[in-house]
Amino acid sequence: MTLHLHESPSQSADAYDELSADGVTPRPHWAHLMESLQEIGPEELGRRWNRAERRIRENGITYNVYSDTLGAHRDWKIDIVPLLIPADEWRSIEAGIVQRAQLLSLLLEDLYGPQHLLTHGHFPAALLYGNPAFLRPLVGVSVPAHSYLHMLAIDLARSPDGQWWVLADRAQAPSGSGYALENRTIVSDVLPDLFRTSNVLRLAPFFRAQREALTNLSKRDNPRIVLLTPGPYNETYFEHSYIARYLGFTLAQGADLTVRNRRVYLKTVDGLEKVDVILRRVDDSFCDPLELRGDSLLGVPGLVDSVVAGNVKVANALGSGLIETAAIMPFLPGLSTHLLGEKLKLPSVATWWCGQSYALDWVLNNLDSVVVKPAFPSRGMEPVFGAEIPQAEKGKFAEQLRARPQEYVAQEQVALSTAPVWDQGCLNSRSVVLRTYVLNTGSGWIAIPGGLVRVAEAEGSVVSMQRGGHSKDAWVLWDGPIDTFSMLRPRNEPVELRRVPRVVPSSVADNVFWLGRYAERAQNLARILRAMIPRIRLAEEPELACLIRLHGCLESRYSKLPKAKRRRPTSLELEQEMTSMFTDAKRPDSLAHTLAEVYRIGDNVRERLSADMMFLIGQLRDFVQLEPKTQFLEYPAILTDCLELLSAFSGLERENINRGLGWLFMTIGRRLERAIYLTRQLREITTPLAEQDWSLLECLLEVADSSMTYRARYYTTLQPLAVLDVLMADETNPRSLDFQLSHLADLYQKLPRHVRDDLKAMRDALALLRSFDLRELKYPLPGAAMAGNGSDGLSRLEHFLRDLERLLPSWSNNLSSRYFSHARTLPISIGQ
Amino acid sequence: MIYRIVHRTTYKYKYPVSVGNHVACLKPRSLPHHQSARSELRIQPRPATRTERVDFFGNRLCFFTVQEPHRELVVEARSEVTIDENSTPWLQQTLAWEEVAKSIPGDDSPAGLEAYQFGFESPRIRVQPQFADYARQSFLSGRPMLEALLDLTARIHKDFRFDSKATNVRTPTEEVFKKRRGVCQDFAHLQIACLRSLNLAARYVSGYLRTYPPPGRPRLVGADVSHAWVSAYCPGIGWLDMDPTNNVVPSDGHVTLAWGRDYGDVSPLRGLILGGGAHTLKVAVDMEPIEA
Repeated sequence: MTLHLHESPSQSADAYDELSADGVTPRPHWAHLMESLQEIGPEELGRRWNRAERRIRENGITYNVYSDTLGAHRDWKIDIVPLLIPADEWRSIEAGIVQRAQLLSLLLEDLYGPQHLLTHGHFPAALLYGNPAFLRPLVGVSVPAHSYLHMLAIDLARSPDGQWWVLADRAQAPSGSGYALENRTIVSDVLPDLFRTSNVLRLAPFFRAQREALTNLSKRDNPRIVLLTPGPYNETYFEHSYIARYLGFTLAQGADLTVRNRRVYLKTVDGLEKVDVILRRVDDSFCDPLELRGDSLLGVPGLVDSVVAGNVKVANALGSGLIETAAIMPFLPGLSTHLLGEKLKLPSVATWWCGQSYALDWVLNNLDSVVVKPAFPSRGMEPVFGAEIPQAEKGKFAEQLRARPQEYVAQEQVALSTAPVWDQGCLNSRSVVLRTYVLNTGSGWIAIPGGLVRVAEAEGSVVSMQRGGHSKDAWVLWDGPIDTFSMLRPRNEPVELRRVPRVVPSSVADNVFWLGRYAERAQNLARILRAMIPRIRLAEEPELACLIRLHGCLESRYSKLPKAKRRRPTSLELEQEMTSMFTDAKRPDSLAHTLAEVYRIGDNVRERLSADMMFLIGQLRDFVQLEPKTQFLEYPAILTDCLELLSAFSGLERENINRGLGWLFMTIGRRLERAIYLTRQLREITTPLAEQDWSLLECLLEVADSSMTYRARYYTTLQPLAVLDVLMADETNPRSLDFQLSHLADLYQKLPRHVRDDLKAMRDALALLRSFDLRELKYPLPGAAMAGNGSDGLSRLEHFLRDLERLLPSWSNNLSSRYFSHARTLPISIGQ
Repeated sequence: MIYRIVHRTTYKYKYPVSVGNHVACLKPRSLPHHQSARSELRIQPRPATRTERVDFFGNRLCFFTVQEPHRELVVEARSEVTIDENSTPWLQQTLAWEEVAKSIPGDDSPAGLEAYQFGFESPRIRVQPQFADYARQSFLSGRPMLEALLDLTARIHKDFRFDSKATNVRTPTEEVFKKRRGVCQDFAHLQIACLRSLNLAARYVSGYLRTYPPPGRPRLVGADVSHAWVSAYCPGIGWLDMDPTNNVVPSDGHVTLAWGRDYGDVSPLRGLILGGGAHTLKVAVDMEPIEA
């Protein structure tokens, strides 16, 4: 919704008043409403209004504003007083917008088809070739008869003489019908008696027809229909999810879809599901980075080719943005006569396309009375009010127009009509624009009765949703019987009990898997940091070596320490490295960065996480923004707090998430991550340790939070084999390697269509691990010869851990190929 | 002249790519004086799906999807093209360029409409007064179209330096104009911008150029490159090719792959991949004359 309508205050005095002709007496069709409001009284209305506002907040009806630097979701502002339209007036509006939709649909068909209008001079070629919305790959693509437009939005305004005019046509991905629906639900709830007694035409039949129309676009029975959204950061995302739920479609972002063999599929954990129809809310040029805008991150590579092959229907058809330019308006009366054999019923606001020389002359001679806009809005020029251009600059502006006249349109400024709005206990007047919607049912066109009324923020200001205006409901007061069909289930009807959500999109599984991995990674990192930091300053030479080995377990690619081969790092260097690993958010392996990733990934699936979990994740993100003067030795206490939050998070994960597919993927992620770093840590022990290195054992136990377990069994004697037993072989210790592998195998087996070889690889790894009898291992004790026959078993174990270290990432890649990207998996097994 | 051309593109990825959707524009067009007898694409790893389509401009596209993990993608196009020498008729007396500019918009004939669409801005080419000013030094009042065109081509060749380090595939024409440096793609874009800024119709041609080894040296295999030049419309004659990089009028040493409004319409290989991380790209072209 990017309409910018302006009204200068001087004109508002002459504006058409929807409520009253003389400013005192309501027009007849407003009388009933005014009486009712009077009867209810301002106090009661205020109370009801507060209730409605609360409901809006609870339902989370939002409208995101691009310019909002906080990225906040703003509450949708709606007005309690509907705009009333009498039956006869509606009949003539409806006839006008339906005719316009037919006309624009035929225009699209010709311009993307035979182009007779160009060759016969009915439509200027410059308006086609110069229009960036003309998508050449779609030319000549066969589209079922008259289905270029599925839905068209038309913005109407009423001039002082009472005539309705078309301000703009929206065919790209027309928004607002969902807000209209939500407004209706709320206003009819606030004014139930008035609504019942006013004989208002209902909206539900329109949406039922929309569902049928989309279903009929596909030749298949029970086609899969998805609503393609740019995602939660789009300003109308609320509406996308609302409409998808209301109509029973799957809400999908570009990354949820994939094209294989010229067909579009929805990626789900259960496999690829063919998509037949896409209701798009993504601008068409962003829909396919392969053939349209290459910089788009919102589209589906190969979508155009799938459309060309006739395997998927997109509504509105790709390319229909072409007719949004106001520059076509001057040609519509002629095109109407030519294509429909009828006069155009509803006039467009007076528009001149400067590409015609007489129009350019007229505009230059009457600059003060028009607003000049780019003919093709994507060029990003703000509207210029002729009257506001300083006299000295008019010549320069005229030059600009003359140089590339076809790039500009000029329009007359319209004095918008005003309607009453409820404002803190009284009724005020505000300018309004009516956005109407016309739907192509396949056998004809129908209009939403009424539409979405957009209200100027303050008297005489701009009407634009993107700038944060508000809206009201429109009631068509009918004079005949009414279809009271409702799409919403009545409250007294029992719901069908359902345990399992229908589909889990691959993107969700992908995100929760990585959420598990990163949360676990953060925990390991925080533990290692906390174990190392207090020891560094006191460490004598041998212990320092142990700490460096512990740091080595992280296999940091971004380490700032000197290479081990050259010389041993000093304790000061290690201290700096710790600070960097803790706080340097630019370093991909730092705790700061890892926690930021936890937040980013969590935010991607915020709709699937509880508010408590999101709150924790938010706290974690803020955690590492340390006060500048924080001392090195204060770090451990901060890390302890951080670990507490991470434990709280894993607690919620265990206690508050249903054991569905999402949980499975998150837990697999966690176990996998833990198995990977445990394997690395255990390898440090299998390389025979000299006695002075045994303090590493203590650190490792601490990192694995297993010091208590160890002490309960072995008291204080630290022995490598005993540590191995606790951290590797003890199947009851949730931090042992055995525990991770056996759970990974069990969890993986629960996944639908798991790969048998991958399950086997994990089980084989577990069996191999269990084949080691630690009692038979001879660990070289201090004083004994370091290299001897006795450590054969030990080197076998080290070998196994190396193999496992290679297996786990490949296993993870296969999981993601199988469930997230739907690619072929590669053969894997332990020991290869 | 018959050429055998091998155009090999190799992508190497830091991490495995699980799925890649690609489109190649690597099969030469067939034109009256320019026949492409054989042309094939060899792709490694083997694509799971592969389809061909002729695009809006008449170019031959090949769409393919690789959906197995891979760290290297190799696309090799092998073509054979026969070109007749100087097959375009050359008129020394063409219309004054202003007449050309004036006649294009009113021409509703298929050829006229086809040409007209190349007179507009396109995603990578803006129309600007600075380009018009530069072009006007060649497009003097009343000068015949062809003469002006040759002069502009020569001036770009003289004023701009070939420098493969100065620009990349995304450098805007405005920057090329300011730096006075670039490669064939930049010079083609610049010349098109100049012509369109004078309301003339010009298109971008992608293809190959025959190169000659230094005297006494053997021809180096794989040392050739893909090339780009410009084609401008002149009513009554048709399209006139100009190579501003070399200041020549393309003849039988230029092989045409495809044309469009700018590079974006005809990039030889583009794609979207899942995974991969950083990548390196290597292109080797070998254009071998096999028969004179």
